[in-house]
Amino acid sequence: MNTCTTIRELIPWYVNGTLSVDEARHVAAHLSQCEACREELIQNMQLSIEVRRAFSELEGMRSESKKDVLKRTTGQQLAHLDVGSFVLGFSFGASYQKGRIPIRGDLKLLGRRIRLISNDREDYNE
Amino acid sequence: MSQAGELLAKVANQDSTAFQQLYDLFADRVYRYAFTILHNKHLAEEIAQETMVAVWNGASRFAGRSKPSTWIFGIARNQALTLLRKEKKAETTGSPELVQADPSKHIIQHERVMTALGELSADHREVVYLTFYEGLSYGEISGILGIPSGTVKSRMFHAKRKLAEVLA
Repeated sequence: MNTCTTIRELIPWYVNGTLSVDEARHVAAHLSQCEACREELIQNMQLSIEVRRAFSELEGMRSESKKDVLKRTTGQQLAHLDVGSFVLGFSFGASYQKGRIPIRGDLKLLGRRIRLISNDREDYNE
Repeated sequence: MSQAGELLAKVANQDSTAFQQLYDLFADRVYRYAFTILHNKHLAEEIAQETMVAVWNGASRFAGRSKPSTWIFGIARNQALTLLRKEKKAETTGSPELVQADPSKHIIQHERVMTALGELSADHREVVYLTFYEGLSYGEISGILGIPSGTVKSRMFHAKRKLAEVLA
């Protein structure tokens, strides 16, 4: 793969500022010497602006949406207990949500949370 | 720890105030991301809601190995793809259409760039969105989509070529 092809693959992320320092230096050094890639950079910058504008103008969510989510999540808190410190602690929570009473109890160890008690089946792994 | 990371830690402890702040930070972004996959604002809103509910239920499982945004967008993507699979199944079994005509499409048609984005495949559109709207690195996008970085770059290359054709 020639240098221009490699550089052009990186240009979108040069534009959004997420390349590593080394990659960004590499791209900048090439751009200083290559007019065709500078043109590609300008096109990417224009595209970036247009895409952001287009998605910004997309009609947003309904105002009721947040209420709907809060009803299904936080519900009405019945009890909450948080004891201990960052090193070692325990938290317990119970709330009323749409006829259910989810109960959760976590052991906190060095900032990590280990679930000890839960009657809620809905969980997602990272 | 980032603001989102701190909020997630509190949400894991069932902190409802933190969840509302996290909702304000992410729901709209998740909605716009889901739109890139589904191209239907009603379904995108449904996915945004389901994603935020999943964040509430699963915050304690977030181990901090990735950025909160990467984790949340990953949940949204899984939800959107599951919905797409259900739609396809409903279509093949002759069930009522899940996807209805999206009134927003008429508005979108007036937007030249959005129309051009609509010409892209969902795979290409989400890379363009995550790069230029969300400002994510190709490594982060690779993590969300579960594809190699080279494939992210390749999808961007093809997306830009298609956009150039449509916008010319």
